Amino acid sequence: MPSFIHESLLWWGLPLVGVPVLIHLINLMRHRRVKWAAMEFLLQSQKRHQKSILFKELLLLLLRMAAVAAVVFMLAQPLVRNQWGALFGGTKTHHIVLLDDSFSMADHWADTSAFEQAKQVIARLAAQAEHQDTPQLFTVLRFSRARQLGRGTQPDLLEEAVDAKLPANLEKVMGALKTSETAAEPQDALDAIDRLPPKSEDEDRVVYLVSDFRANQWQEPVALRKALQHLDETGAQLHLINCVDSLHQNLAITALRPGAGTRAAGVPLLVEVSVRNFGAANARQVSVSLEEDGHARPAIVLEDIPPGKTLTRRFPVLFATAGEHEITARLQTDAVAADNIRSLVIDVAKAVDVLVVDGDPKGQDAFFLSTALAPGGKITSGLRPLIESPRYLRDHSLEQFETIFLLNVPRLESNEIAALEAYVKAGGGVGFFLGELCRADFFNDQLFRGGEGLFPLPLAGPAELVVDRLEKAPDLEVTEHPIFSVFAGERNSFLSTVVVSRYFAAQKDWLPEPESSTRVIARLRNKAPLAVEHKFGDGRVVAILTKSSPLETSLGSWNNWGRNNPSYVVAMLEMQSYLAAGRHPDTARLVGAPLDVKLDVAKYLPHVRFTLPPENGGGTLAVDAATSPGGNSAILSDTDASGIYQAQLTLTDGSQAIERFAYNVVPEEGDLTRLDGTKLAGQLAGIRYEFHQAGDINYNPQQLAGFNLSESLLYALVAILLAEQVLAYACSYHPFSPGGKR
Amino acid sequence: MPASKRFLHPEAIGRIARLDLRARHIVEGFLSGIHRSPYFGQSVEFLQHREYTPGDDLRHVDWKVWAKQDRYYVKQFEEDTNLRSTLLVDVSGSMRYGSGPLEKYEYGCTIAASLAYLLLQQQDAVGCLAFDQAIRAKVPQRTRRSHLNSIIQALSASEPAEKTEMPPILRGAAETYPRRGLMILISDLLVDRVGLFKGLKLLRQHGHDVIVFHVMDDQELDFSFSGPTRFEGLELPQHLACNPRALREGYLEALGKYLEEVRRGCAQDGVDYVLLRTSQPLDAALAAFLSHREKARRK
Repeated sequence: MPSFIHESLLWWGLPLVGVPVLIHLINLMRHRRVKWAAMEFLLQSQKRHQKSILFKELLLLLLRMAAVAAVVFMLAQPLVRNQWGALFGGTKTHHIVLLDDSFSMADHWADTSAFEQAKQVIARLAAQAEHQDTPQLFTVLRFSRARQLGRGTQPDLLEEAVDAKLPANLEKVMGALKTSETAAEPQDALDAIDRLPPKSEDEDRVVYLVSDFRANQWQEPVALRKALQHLDETGAQLHLINCVDSLHQNLAITALRPGAGTRAAGVPLLVEVSVRNFGAANARQVSVSLEEDGHARPAIVLEDIPPGKTLTRRFPVLFATAGEHEITARLQTDAVAADNIRSLVIDVAKAVDVLVVDGDPKGQDAFFLSTALAPGGKITSGLRPLIESPRYLRDHSLEQFETIFLLNVPRLESNEIAALEAYVKAGGGVGFFLGELCRADFFNDQLFRGGEGLFPLPLAGPAELVVDRLEKAPDLEVTEHPIFSVFAGERNSFLSTVVVSRYFAAQKDWLPEPESSTRVIARLRNKAPLAVEHKFGDGRVVAILTKSSPLETSLGSWNNWGRNNPSYVVAMLEMQSYLAAGRHPDTARLVGAPLDVKLDVAKYLPHVRFTLPPENGGGTLAVDAATSPGGNSAILSDTDASGIYQAQLTLTDGSQAIERFAYNVVPEEGDLTRLDGTKLAGQLAGIRYEFHQAGDINYNPQQLAGFNLSESLLYALVAILLAEQVLAYACSYHPFSPGGKR
Repeated sequence: MPASKRFLHPEAIGRIARLDLRARHIVEGFLSGIHRSPYFGQSVEFLQHREYTPGDDLRHVDWKVWAKQDRYYVKQFEEDTNLRSTLLVDVSGSMRYGSGPLEKYEYGCTIAASLAYLLLQQQDAVGCLAFDQAIRAKVPQRTRRSHLNSIIQALSASEPAEKTEMPPILRGAAETYPRRGLMILISDLLVDRVGLFKGLKLLRQHGHDVIVFHVMDDQELDFSFSGPTRFEGLELPQHLACNPRALREGYLEALGKYLEEVRRGCAQDGVDYVLLRTSQPLDAALAAFLSHREKARRK
């Protein structure tokens, strides 16, 4: 049964249904008297049509009564609740507002922003709900809090009774709200509805999703569709309210990361900064201002960024001291501010340890390589090579080394191999140089192991590269690879002067598996592989199938690369950087991800004091570390703001250590491309919802509580009146021509 | 308003006068040829020559003129007539109905007076008989122009009251005016059709030329009433409360059948029938009359 908004109207309105009967009776009493001559024809007509006239007039009377009843019901505004609500006589309406506070909602134009529009919409919804006759509840839940709902986090308003106090209360709560720097998704908010207090039997739910409907979230919303479908099935009404009316120009720094290179004090390091144009027009003369440990450094100017494109520039930084250093990149103000800044923390060591294991006690190979890695003198490479025998691998921890080179190693013990493999799996880098002491059988059986081992390829044995005086091509052919990229484009590369006489040939018919990470990165003139790379666990392995040393051996000279050829030094440094990359995974931390600080039980006390960035309210927060088999870890879950988070660790001796972590926003959230109502309808076909622009939210409050039948009754009234007119015409109550007499 | 003026409606007389003025020949000469007497009368004064047109009676061709000019001319005479006309005017209760400025009774009397005036203008003998279920007034046939007053007085003396009984009236008229002539019946014909046709047949059997002016009110023909209405019979104690629009279709259907029956009945008896609406101009009735006589002359 429907309820009525103006039920009292029924009491005095329904008796009006009898008015047509009354008028009919009055008309019967008010017959006009006419003295008539031609009674004969009149009586004939009356006798013939009496029954049909009576039927039509009765029907006409009923239609007129129905028209009056329709008017009365329309004014009383009947509300039909959803199916279950109707069955249980639901009389309570719960308005659940899901407010998108992701940083794209900070999109501002003129003197307003999407978030301000959203706040105004919520205020209007609350004001309208206040005019309802039935009990109303109001809940406001921000996207950024949805994921943590029920885990110590509550909505901003939870089942607040709608009364005269609500607008003031809402203004107080909403006034303090700002957009977060998260990329919180509607999916989280919709899922969180199920974690709200359960719906009572007499409760109707109206859910408002107040958002900016960005294309990157709504383009193919498979999971969202499921969530909305689920909401639909629970009987809730769904209103999607869009707070943005057009696409605004926005630039975002999408990446700020260190390039490959040695991260050591006094050694220049290249840092990459990427800027993406999310707008619809070209961005010209984009200036990226940079700070290095709080000190401004020359800005980078990007001449022209086409719409939808990303430009990346590299700039060198040089830190004189070891420790953690901050780099910040900023763009000028645009529609969304949160993605205009990006921070980076680089941990710079005093010197980077490299282990060089030489199989030959003479250490000739190690000499050339370590000299290339650390030439000495005024120029510092930041590397500190340690030359050891293979026994070092089993007797010492390899953790401190960024890279390990194995040169001309005849064989390794199984525990040495195990230590080496564990090191690489954990992200370490190993470089192989072969030589006269190496045995193909050992490499194949112990290190390659049919592709399961550390070594990237099976070997056949030493081979000689026949000199062909007619052949002008260089001995060494390199591919596009980070190790050799520095030589790319050079017309007279020193690489072309490298002469390779001997090498270890790969087994015949060996080819890298197409799906594997094994890749030949350099070949000889005869197309035999000379350098092969391979990923093993988180680490990298590069095998150079010739000697590191250019000196003569029992088999003769293997190559002349290390003899007065600058390309050898450059290639070795690049190879070291490349192999060391696994030790520095791209640890870009994104806002919202928990900050997990691992604590060595032996070294640190299980307490961490976090200092939050100013954007997250500043201040400090003490967190006790949780004990786990892998070691203690202190987790800071509230990382909803970008900036530098500091973790103050206490060592067992009572001293303090500081670790810093840069948190940045999710760059894709800065993509302001949005879906309009039509496109959204295409994505959400089959789901019942109403789409509104924020400016249009001013609809009748009664519509919110249930389906108002007034409009349907209006159509019914029109239909009744049309039928009445047709019937009245059939009953000859109308003139026969426009100018005719009635 | 004096009685003579009451039926000689100024507008009607004005229209008739215009008719006269427009064609003086009609009233003072040509009119004589229009309503031919059933008897061949004696020719009187020569009036004028008129060029022969096909259809003219060859007896009136002036052969002397032809001999002199080789052209055919017919002679026209201002001829005394011995046409005897009788106006039979229904003054029954049903004639009291009228939705316009004139009731059927007034309209009928006006037509009767106008026709009498016209006929007397051309020196025809006119008599009058006002009746309902009985003859209420009777005026003998005279040719004097002053006779018009007698007719008008007879009409005005008869107040409509009773119902109509047509057969005895028409039988009485046939007996009252035994010499053959023109019988002009002015009535709404709301009577028993069998009796009406019997009476008209009787008149025809007596050799009378009969013309019927069927006077009907607009409302009777159109029945455009609206709103709840109680109809009360003018002649019989009948009444009906109804929505007239609902009954209109059936009414018009019954009326149509009735009119068709009357028209057919008159045609079968050789009676000229003219349906007149009380809203029609009176000259239209007279024009219809003259047209009828012209047609009769050509037979």
